[in-house]
Amino acid sequence: MNLGWKEMKRNKGRFLIVGSIVFLISFMTLMISGLANGLSKDNAGLIQAMPDGQFYLNEDAKENYLLSTIDEGSEKGTAFSIQMGSLFDPNGKQQGVAFLTASPSAVFPAVQKGDVLLDRSLAKEGIQIGDSLTNNGLSGTLRVAGFVDDSKFSHAPVAFIHSADYEDMFQTNDRQILFSMNSAAEQLDGLQTFSKNEFLQTIESYKAEQLSLTMIISFLVIISGLLFGIFFYMMNMQKIGLYGILKAMGVSSRTLLRMIWTQMAVVTGTALLLSILASQLFNQLVPQEVPFHLSAANTLWLSGVFFIIGFLGASLSGVQIKKAEPLKAIQQGEN
Amino acid sequence: MTTLELKNIRKQFTNGGASEDILKGISLSLQKGEVTALTGTSGSGKSTLLTIAAGLQLPSSGDILFEENRMSALSAEARRNIRATQFGFVFQSAHLVPFLTVEEQLLLMLDTAESTLGKSERTQKAARLLQLVGLEHRRHAYPASLSGGEKQRAAIARAVIHEPKVLFADEPTASLDSSRSRDVMKLLLDLTRELQIATLLVTHDEEMLNYTDRVIHMSDGAMARANSLIQ
Ligand SMILES: Nc1ncnc2c1ncn2[C@@H]1O[C@H](COP(=O)(O)OP(=O)(O)O)[C@@H](O)[C@H]1O
Ligand SMILES: [Mg+2]
Repeated sequence: MNLGWKEMKRNKGRFLIVGSIVFLISFMTLMISGLANGLSKDNAGLIQAMPDGQFYLNEDAKENYLLSTIDEGSEKGTAFSIQMGSLFDPNGKQQGVAFLTASPSAVFPAVQKGDVLLDRSLAKEGIQIGDSLTNNGLSGTLRVAGFVDDSKFSHAPVAFIHSADYEDMFQTNDRQILFSMNSAAEQLDGLQTFSKNEFLQTIESYKAEQLSLTMIISFLVIISGLLFGIFFYMMNMQKIGLYGILKAMGVSSRTLLRMIWTQMAVVTGTALLLSILASQLFNQLVPQEVPFHLSAANTLWLSGVFFIIGFLGASLSGVQIKKAEPLKAIQQGEN
Repeated sequence: MTTLELKNIRKQFTNGGASEDILKGISLSLQKGEVTALTGTSGSGKSTLLTIAAGLQLPSSGDILFEENRMSALSAEARRNIRATQFGFVFQSAHLVPFLTVEEQLLLMLDTAESTLGKSERTQKAARLLQLVGLEHRRHAYPASLSGGEKQRAAIARAVIHEPKVLFADEPTASLDSSRSRDVMKLLLDLTRELQIATLLVTHDEEMLNYTDRVIHMSDGAMARANSLIQ
């Protein structure tokens, strides 16, 4: 006889409450995780979408790419620069962009002089292929040659431009960052090496944003862990007398443990399944402008963490079962 | 025939440094098919003796022999196994499992006793026993909807469904009125005879002693006198 199941069928309300709490907390955590990923993509999608490799900054730049200078003609890889700025569309509306120029390579799309490739998000702003865009620092105009996907930097759409236009606009022949697709870091004279993740951490806004979100997610996981534990503990506290009686009758602690594990697995499993469904539904329905991205890997990872927490919470109550005294239980209690 | 034998059982509890003798050397034996009653004033050590006999706690000294087994020489797991398969329990409160129906209480006991019966045999057996204790119409009821007497009869059915060799009953009638108490005592005596159980009954109600075979009077941790009602 499955005691855990029988109890759940009899006391649906109580288990529904616990299940709802597991659902709400795991759903909230998944949503915030989706937001963290969405923001991360919005902030640094350009870098994240780059192939695996090494980033190099000038040692004197103190890990700030804006202060770094790299020789344009480096043969060790792709030299590129990013500068925040803006473009005026044909209607005179200003659009914030991140200008990027790079030495010719397969890493970034190639652009002709006088052309610009824009992140697709600007297409939604009404900009079309063939439009002429202007910038105060630029003598000529930039013709929109096309749109590219997933190219955001510092929450702004990236504008890929030719090096001549870049040099005209920013009055410099130097580049900031060197990127090589070598998987192993090379020791280059006067340069400091960064992995992709390390490089992302040098972007101050990205670092701060992700740190806050990671903290929120960690707190949610910790708080939910405590809540699960406390709930299972309290539910089992009320049954400690019953456990004592059952143990007196000869029911093994193993059977009782299996009972609470079944309950934990059913409650947590159902609640997690629902919150995964709800968050994936949200993922589908959320408007493009909202930076929200919930990957299957992330969902599974967080669900796994919640399941383990639930399991630990339930096992903690196993200690109560072990301690349940048949003798005490016999001498007191009424049902 | 002796099923369970207690030999010179002593039990001491230490309360705040002072050690107190609660049981002062008690010997008795439980016979197959007989109800042995333990009686005496509150605090005389009846429950302590019963729980020691049942292997729920160990004596300070003395032996408990169940068939060939010396209980104190067994592991906790082995004692649990004996409780599950060979012993039955009835307490002052029925202590039924609140989320199981009357029938399920009995089936749980069969599970616990690792009964070899098949599914339909189990339900048949439960039905027969529930009829015997007059609860067949309450088969699917939950404890919350049972009267005190019904609960106690369900508890008795649960205690004997696995045909234990020993039945321990600690004040099973204490929470019932006298007519229901008599019914419960008759039931216990009938089951003891029919299933050839050795029953140890604790009661401080003199009237209930009419339904027992032997009476052991306890006073202050010692046996004051023992009368055998049947010779
Ligand atoms: N675990 C224990 N620790 C200390 N004293 C106990 C313990 N269990 C019982 N006693 C004492 O032993 C005495 C006998 O108790 P008990 O066997 O319950 O008596 P009865 O069942 O005859 O009323 C009481 O004085 C009680 O306080
Ligand atoms: Mg007592």
